[in-house]
Amino acid sequence: MLQFVFLIPLIAGIAVFFLPAKKGRLILVATAIIHATFTGLEWFKITGPLQTKYFANTPEGMLVLAILSFLFLFISLYTVAYMNEVEMSKEPIFNGCMLLFLAAMSMVAIADHIIMLWVAVEATTLMSAPLIFVHRSKEALEATWKYVLICSVGIALALLGCFFVIFSMTMSDVHVPISFSALATVASQLNPIWLKAGFIFVVIGYGTKMGLAPMHTWLPDAHSEAPSPASALLSGALLNCAFLGVYRCHQLMYAAGLGDYSSNVLIAFGLASMLVSAVFILNQNDYKRMLAYSSIENMGIIAFGTGIGGLALFGAMLHMIHHSLVKSSLFLSAGNILLGYGTKIINKTGGMLRLFPKTGATFFAGFAGISGFPPFGLFISELLIILGAIKAGRYVAISIFIFSLILIFAGASRLVMQMIFAERDKDEILVPEKWVRALPPIILLLTSLALVIWLPDTIYQTIQNAISSIGGTVNG
Amino acid sequence: MLALILLSVLLSLRSNRLMALVKLMAFQGVVVSAVPLFLETEHGLTFNLFVFFILLVLVKGVFIPGLMYIAVKKVVASREIEPIIGYHASLFAGLIMIVFSVYVTNNLHLAMLPAGHKLLLVTAITTMGAGLVLLMARRKAITQVIGYLMMENGIYLIGTALAKEVHTQYVVEFAVLLDLIVAVLVMGIVLNDINHTFDDVDTALMGQLKD
Repeated sequence: MLQFVFLIPLIAGIAVFFLPAKKGRLILVATAIIHATFTGLEWFKITGPLQTKYFANTPEGMLVLAILSFLFLFISLYTVAYMNEVEMSKEPIFNGCMLLFLAAMSMVAIADHIIMLWVAVEATTLMSAPLIFVHRSKEALEATWKYVLICSVGIALALLGCFFVIFSMTMSDVHVPISFSALATVASQLNPIWLKAGFIFVVIGYGTKMGLAPMHTWLPDAHSEAPSPASALLSGALLNCAFLGVYRCHQLMYAAGLGDYSSNVLIAFGLASMLVSAVFILNQNDYKRMLAYSSIENMGIIAFGTGIGGLALFGAMLHMIHHSLVKSSLFLSAGNILLGYGTKIINKTGGMLRLFPKTGATFFAGFAGISGFPPFGLFISELLIILGAIKAGRYVAISIFIFSLILIFAGASRLVMQMIFAERDKDEILVPEKWVRALPPIILLLTSLALVIWLPDTIYQTIQNAISSIGGTVNG
Repeated sequence: MLALILLSVLLSLRSNRLMALVKLMAFQGVVVSAVPLFLETEHGLTFNLFVFFILLVLVKGVFIPGLMYIAVKKVVASREIEPIIGYHASLFAGLIMIVFSVYVTNNLHLAMLPAGHKLLLVTAITTMGAGLVLLMARRKAITQVIGYLMMENGIYLIGTALAKEVHTQYVVEFAVLLDLIVAVLVMGIVLNDINHTFDDVDTALMGQLKD
């Protein structure tokens, strides 16, 4: 039954290609609801996997799957409303690829076999490429070409890393199925040198997909050129899936007693990503690119928190949940802004609170959330990461971390203030805002808020199961 | 066998016509698919291995080069490759790569590998490196795809040399192959659109997006 979470969107996606656009929208929403149902069944382990050779129900995978399913439900509702406003010549292809993309990401979340995980991650690249260039503008084509090529080459290196990990097994004459769960049981017998080499290649490969600097160059282009529902999905769900690949290998390294090594690699990549995004966010003039750089920053924070371990690891997992919710909300709001002003240039926007009260308020609240202000969840997760790092005695790393956070906040807040409060001469807007399009981002934000006030026990338990294997605790 | 792969690698670094490059890729695809057949396997030549060999040849030797052939035919503008790094320099880089791969392989202390596998590893690393050179040193988008495919061939060979377990799991193997097919299809579609929009597939024309 576990396999249904990717089989159903796969079949629905192929069907949508051949159906008229209107029916395609209906199937999009229906599949989102069915997907959410199956995810719920899996979450509470009501049904198990049909065949355990390639797929498994793991706590960290379930976390990613639940976020994905929840986001997709609201993004699909938004997409239907969005499609009413824009002219898209190939709408069936867009809707179909959205579903195939969902299928590929679900497959990442439940994959247990090392190579199957790789296949699924590569599939997410390929299925999301058509989403980026639906508009067929020169910029969109350039973004797609960069995305497909850089990510494919990066992920090819991850395959090399996977081969090295498998070879570390042959080297020490251990024979078990090549799945993460089986490898973890024999991890201490694996050849450490090849395992280290494999981990480096895997981090470079999946890190490219996750947007870790310096392999992030495709991310701002792809996220800014894609239509907004696709950007929200790319930023909110896809980056988590890539992180899951890194996290699985980190777990394996930890089980093999090489946790220190892989932690340091993750911390270095995390800090590099934060610094790079801090530098580039300062002089942005495109608000979708600004959000994309903020995604790079947040992925850096998650990698950093995972590397520090302990309390910070709990923070990193919380950060993943809240970043997905808040960032998708921001990208959906950005879609409304783009429809209204018809431009992505920050200087040409302004007066949002007057022209788009609902979207303006959501965008502002989302920005406060993403910069780590209470009462939003990113405040708690960043605080936990900082506390965890201080406890671990990583003073230099934490100084760079806090410095980047301040820089990013200073850079981004200037831009957001301008968008929301700046004077604007002409009051004409292309598409007025509507409740159907304003509601999904509001609900996503409110969910983040609700999870701060009351984190359900089952989520808490799942996070704890996910992090306990590499020594993460809530009590520090 | 391995000499044939190395020959195709060096020729592709040297070739200045897109058509010649596509034909070389088809040749390389067939040879690379045949490599597992010539390695000593525990069970000898099984039926499954043979069926998979046929499948690989069809995909790597016929289907993918066929797609590339159509793509080249459609791009009427110019069939020259326009290198960023010259042909002779690329060729020289290829030769250095072979020396480097031999050095790397000898220093890995892989005493447990059968003799043939070591030479295979040398070839594989060279193929992968040459693929990266093609990817970076050529301006045409099609050559970049071919560079990617060559890199993929190299990684497949490394997998053959090191991770025997993978090659006996046909479901996984088939899934990887399926990914490769879809990758080439998607790249082909984007390539076609780039050609329509820019009237060329020169990546130097694309440079609007930067910070």
